[in-house]
Amino acid sequence: MHASPSVLIVDRSEETREVLETALEKRGIRTLCAARIHRAAEMARAQQPDLIVLDLELDRSNLGQVCAKFQAEADCQQPPMVLLGSMQKAPANPHCEIVAKPYHYGLLIRKIEEILETLNRDSRKPA
Amino acid sequence: MPSLFVIRGNDQGSRFEFAEGTTSIGRDASNDIQLHDTEVSRRHAQIYGSKDVYTVSDLDSSNGTFVNGRPVEAHRLESGDHLQIGRTLMLFTQPPGAPEVDLSDKVAISSDKAFGDQSHIVHSVSHEESSHFFELSPQVEQSAWLARARGNLQAMYRAALAVSQTLDIDKLLHRIMELIFESVEADRGCVMLTDADTGRLQPKVQRTRRNSKDGDRITISETILDYVMENGEGVLTSDAQQDDRWNPAASIVRMGIREAICVPMRGRYDIVGVIYIDTSTSPQELMLKGVANRFSEDHLKLMVAIAHQAALAVEDTRYYSAMVQAERLAAVGQTIATLSHHIKNILQGIRGGSYLIEMGLSEHDETVVRKGWKIVEKNQNKISALVLDMLTFSKEREPDLQPADINRVVCDVVELMQAHAADLDVAVHCRLADDIPTLVFDPEGMHRAILNVITNAIDAAADSERSGNVEVATAYLPEDGKIQVSIRDDGPGIPADEMERSSGPSCPPRRVVGPGSVCRSARRSSANTADGLPWNPIRARGVAFPWNCRPSLPEPAARLLRKPPSKSPDPCLFCGDRYISLSGTGLL
Repeated sequence: MHASPSVLIVDRSEETREVLETALEKRGIRTLCAARIHRAAEMARAQQPDLIVLDLELDRSNLGQVCAKFQAEADCQQPPMVLLGSMQKAPANPHCEIVAKPYHYGLLIRKIEEILETLNRDSRKPA
Repeated sequence: MPSLFVIRGNDQGSRFEFAEGTTSIGRDASNDIQLHDTEVSRRHAQIYGSKDVYTVSDLDSSNGTFVNGRPVEAHRLESGDHLQIGRTLMLFTQPPGAPEVDLSDKVAISSDKAFGDQSHIVHSVSHEESSHFFELSPQVEQSAWLARARGNLQAMYRAALAVSQTLDIDKLLHRIMELIFESVEADRGCVMLTDADTGRLQPKVQRTRRNSKDGDRITISETILDYVMENGEGVLTSDAQQDDRWNPAASIVRMGIREAICVPMRGRYDIVGVIYIDTSTSPQELMLKGVANRFSEDHLKLMVAIAHQAALAVEDTRYYSAMVQAERLAAVGQTIATLSHHIKNILQGIRGGSYLIEMGLSEHDETVVRKGWKIVEKNQNKISALVLDMLTFSKEREPDLQPADINRVVCDVVELMQAHAADLDVAVHCRLADDIPTLVFDPEGMHRAILNVITNAIDAAADSERSGNVEVATAYLPEDGKIQVSIRDDGPGIPADEMERSSGPSCPPRRVVGPGSVCRSARRSSANTADGLPWNPIRARGVAFPWNCRPSLPEPAARLLRKPPSKSPDPCLFCGDRYISLSGTGLL
């Protein structure tokens, strides 16, 4: 990663998107925001973010399928994901972390920074 | 979908639906069907379904699995089977796999001319007249047997009538006892029902014929009761020895005879109680009448038949109450879950706002502080609105009828919800009819009802694949005397299997958030908006919600309002205040 890292925030709550966007931008992290799976998948394919923060309660008519639905629609190499909420089955993507709701933003921001830091270190390792 | 309906046990009234594949049943919460019954093993049994064939298998449980009273290891279930696990008794039902037969080509309704039928009505009987079907004129001769048979049929018919007409179980049981006393020469009688919790018999009705010498207290042999309950058979008992009838020195001559009939109240699924009657014949009566027995096998059969009718009514009342109670509890549970979800989201919002405020203060960035404060303030308002809504919902409210403009009410609601809709990327479109006159209704109540519906429509539209849309429209239907407020969203809709239950006494227990909850909340609001405001939720597949209201007033006010508006309005017939003049007739 040479440019500043980017995070795609997918959450139906405008407040959550606003808080994360403000906090992450202050830390030099670029943010992309989407409120729906379809739009988020388009952005993921086009912008190739380094990390995706996905609200598991995005589609209340289909709880439990949000992650799978997004991954199917995004149809691209899956970056690490931070999933907000709870899941009955562990996600197929091994690079997913789950943060239960309600969460503290401080801890969530730190987790995002740690993951991005790890990705940055891994990308600088010699092949 | 096949289902198990609990007809006895701690989960009485619950219905468990399941699909093909394996469905586990047990006491543990990990089971697909969890039974709250200490006599059920943690993993007790399972049902496997494939190609419309469902088989129940016992999983080596401690107390076994029973189908129709027989212990089974594996058994293919048929619709109507009783499945007993522990103390829990369930009814298995499976909708028919084959399509229903269409008989419309076998039965037709046609005019007489087209049909060529020369028949005409020769006699008709009203419902009231049919209840005297078995009564014969005293002039007509009839044998003793025929008279008894007709009497018994009459009693049966009247028992069936009582069951169909009497909704209160206590009144019904009293009526049943009356019928028995009219048909049988009993001196005393009682009806006992099993207690739902303890299973013990509790007396519900007790009756003594006048001039009975035995007093009011009835003592029933426990042996007889146990026999009747365990074997499900009616019994006729007598304390006379069989051969004493012919022995003038025997005990019956000295002490008389005591006879009793005790029959089970057997319903469709279970024995719900017993009916008991007894009589005693003194030695003097024996001498006078020369008859040793007053109760016969015919009386016993009649009592069994009447008891069955009464049991069906008792069962219907119990299971309906249990079902309504279970649905209410499920609805309460769902309401609490939904409230928790909303409160959790508000808490998340407040945490976010506080986080930005803290960040802004530590970095001396006022812009960030303001952002954070705005979020906190918004969530403060949300929690305040939530609490007020709960208080309002719990209060009974008299409708405040007054002339009002329904379009104005709808516009106010839409304006109120614009910010919420924008937050969720949902567009709200208004299409208001311009020919709706001023009408008399409760504007505040209607405001709340419409607000509930639109809020849920916006939330549903937020779940749609792309940007959501909600359309609100009003229409005036003068020929029907109705106004229509229609709210349409492009959300995911209501699943087909929940559509039927969405207009029942309580809304579907599984889906409270979204259009399903609109029914209940809006029904409650509309029930309070005007006396006699009929509720008619016509729902498409979770998309369109046309809501027809017929504002009405008691007749004198309606007559007043039908009059063309005059220059000096007539005083109100209720309070004497002058009405403001209404445009058009207003009410129909």
